[in-house]
Amino acid sequence: MSGSATRDRPESRGDLGGARARILARVTRATATRGKLPHPGRLETPPAPDPATPPAPTTTFVKRFTSQCGEVATPDPDRSPRDWLTSFINGLGDEVNAIAIGADVPARLQPHPPDMPPADAGTAGGESPGQSRHAPAVAGPRNSPQPLHHAVPPEHAGVGISLAWGAVAETGSLILPSTGTRAVQLLPPVHIIWVPAGRVFARLEDALLELRAELPAGVGLHSGPSKSADIGQTVVTGVHGPGRCIAVLES
Amino acid sequence: MSVRISEYATRSREAIRDRPEVRTAVTGATVAFDEKRRRAYGEVDADSWRRWAEGVKNHLLTHLDDYLAEAEAQLEANGADVHWARDADEARQIVLALAARHSARSVVKGKSMLTEEVELNPALERAGIEVYETDLGEYILQLLDEPPSHIVGPAIHKTLEQVQHLFADRLETDPGGDPDELARAARDVLRDAFINADMGITGGNFLVAETGTVALIENEGNIRLTTSLPRVHVALVGIEKLLPRMSDLAGFLQLTARAATGQPIGCFVSLVQGPASAPGDDGPEEVHVVLVDNGRTDVLLHEHAWEALRCVRCGACLNTCPVYRQTGGHAYGWVYSGPIGSVLDPGLLGLHEAMPLPFASSLCGACFDACPVRIPIPELLLSWREEAQQKGLTPWKERAALAGLATAATRPPLYRAAARIGTRLGATRAARKLPMLSDWSNDRDLPRPSPHTFRQLWRQGIK
Ligand code: SF4
Repeated sequence: MSGSATRDRPESRGDLGGARARILARVTRATATRGKLPHPGRLETPPAPDPATPPAPTTTFVKRFTSQCGEVATPDPDRSPRDWLTSFINGLGDEVNAIAIGADVPARLQPHPPDMPPADAGTAGGESPGQSRHAPAVAGPRNSPQPLHHAVPPEHAGVGISLAWGAVAETGSLILPSTGTRAVQLLPPVHIIWVPAGRVFARLEDALLELRAELPAGVGLHSGPSKSADIGQTVVTGVHGPGRCIAVLES
Repeated sequence: MSVRISEYATRSREAIRDRPEVRTAVTGATVAFDEKRRRAYGEVDADSWRRWAEGVKNHLLTHLDDYLAEAEAQLEANGADVHWARDADEARQIVLALAARHSARSVVKGKSMLTEEVELNPALERAGIEVYETDLGEYILQLLDEPPSHIVGPAIHKTLEQVQHLFADRLETDPGGDPDELARAARDVLRDAFINADMGITGGNFLVAETGTVALIENEGNIRLTTSLPRVHVALVGIEKLLPRMSDLAGFLQLTARAATGQPIGCFVSLVQGPASAPGDDGPEEVHVVLVDNGRTDVLLHEHAWEALRCVRCGACLNTCPVYRQTGGHAYGWVYSGPIGSVLDPGLLGLHEAMPLPFASSLCGACFDACPVRIPIPELLLSWREEAQQKGLTPWKERAALAGLATAATRPPLYRAAARIGTRLGATRAARKLPMLSDWSNDRDLPRPSPHTFRQLWRQGIK
């Protein structure tokens, strides 16, 4: 802990008329009046109902994620991820007219551009995805009913594709770093998220502690689609964020 | 939100008498929340989770100066700017200055009780800035110019019919539109607002000192958008919202969601460390964290009330409170209502300002059983009452009336009997008399000996 060394430093930039010093002085006065209470240590979660045979994290993840209205898809092991994803997106229906792809999704996990055949060889398409603000790479599925526009911003895409940093079993959560494109994670009505193999953590604490070492500016934990019960206590999905949240577990 | 606590007796009576639909909506929603909370507590070792959370917050509050300094240093290392506000006025000035510096014309907001507390929206509007509340419930209330009535479900006092009417009028939806259609109409308006906003303003559920992480819990995704799309993100965080370490956050995210809505975790959690820096990150260019006191150090200095600062604003004590269920939150007259409001408001505002809230309870104990950080609300109510008596702050008559309300609300057999009489006498007259029957107030200050028994009775009573 950086402790009192920083506490006593001169006034900071964001200080309005000595507010910082005065607040801290009052806090110090208050803490001096009662004993310092110890930290209770770590919280043991989850209390496994049957500690002898805890279920595999992936099993628990699927259970928890789907119970929160998330969907899980498993790629066909006999096809390349690109081919599989391209067909999967085609199967989502006609409303998918454009796809936005997060900045950190590697080419091998991106669907084929609209006019390219789904062949494994020769379609590496190693060009890096879009880097500009809110303007990630955009591709379209084959046989798309409408011609696709490149550089369509995510707010006009039907599907967003992201890469999760990992997933959490006990809460059914996907961990999405801001090094992917946030607008892709949030604006399209359908969100498809790749979960790399071996990246499902049993406990949230374990995931956050590992993430701590490489913490990006922003992190989103997504545990199913956007929901609200603010109108007449009836649950509606897709209020602001995606209405469908599909986790793809790489094997 | 202006303080109207002194009108509590009148306003609670009026709420019960004149707006039966509020009671129906609030009771329905809170009973459902409460049942989900019970089920979610039952899935884990809730007892030890709650003791652990109490311990972490006690540790935090007895080392708060160190952790505040650590959080500030971490945030600044992450590239965020930290501001300190002693009171509501300073908090508003800080945000207004930031808005002016960025020539902000349009602001999107995530739900934040603290921004209600410091009355931020009217100040922004006076400065000519367009403010959009983006939580669906908050948006409904903004259209109606009403304050939130519940910490977690700000519009739970509104029925579907009322929202249909409002949206038909303001957003030209079909007067019989279902919740999906209504939500879509709001989403369309707010989607444009998100994309065009110059600044996003949120509160903060937690601030992790170790990493300088502002954590925000929600279900709609509007906070994710508010913290991601605009160029500038400003988070107002009460100084008591800190957590020592990242591993503490893992426990608190889960416990808070279970207590609030019975979920294993909020649908969306945003962890904000600072402005976007990595290539490919389209997040805000500036992140500002405003650490707000506004009465919190007074509470921390108070011999008993400091324990209320453990509060994570989950709303569980509201949901389980028989008195809150009768009136909803507006009657309480300030931002924080229900059991937590009755112990926190006297600390934040001063006991005089918060009278007669410590008397708006039957001390049944249900709130303590629900509270994820084990705030001894009944004990704190008693100590506020004692302090009020010592200071000669409350006339006996008003206290008796409030005790009558609380007792009526927590005693289903009497409640049912009165309701039966009411059918004979005419519903309106019975509703008017119900909470104030003077002979019910005889045992007004006695704690209920067995809260569990009466709560079972109560649940049977409302079936
Ligand atoms: S007092 Fe406890 S139950 Fe009530 S809102 Fe705060 S944390 Fe939740």
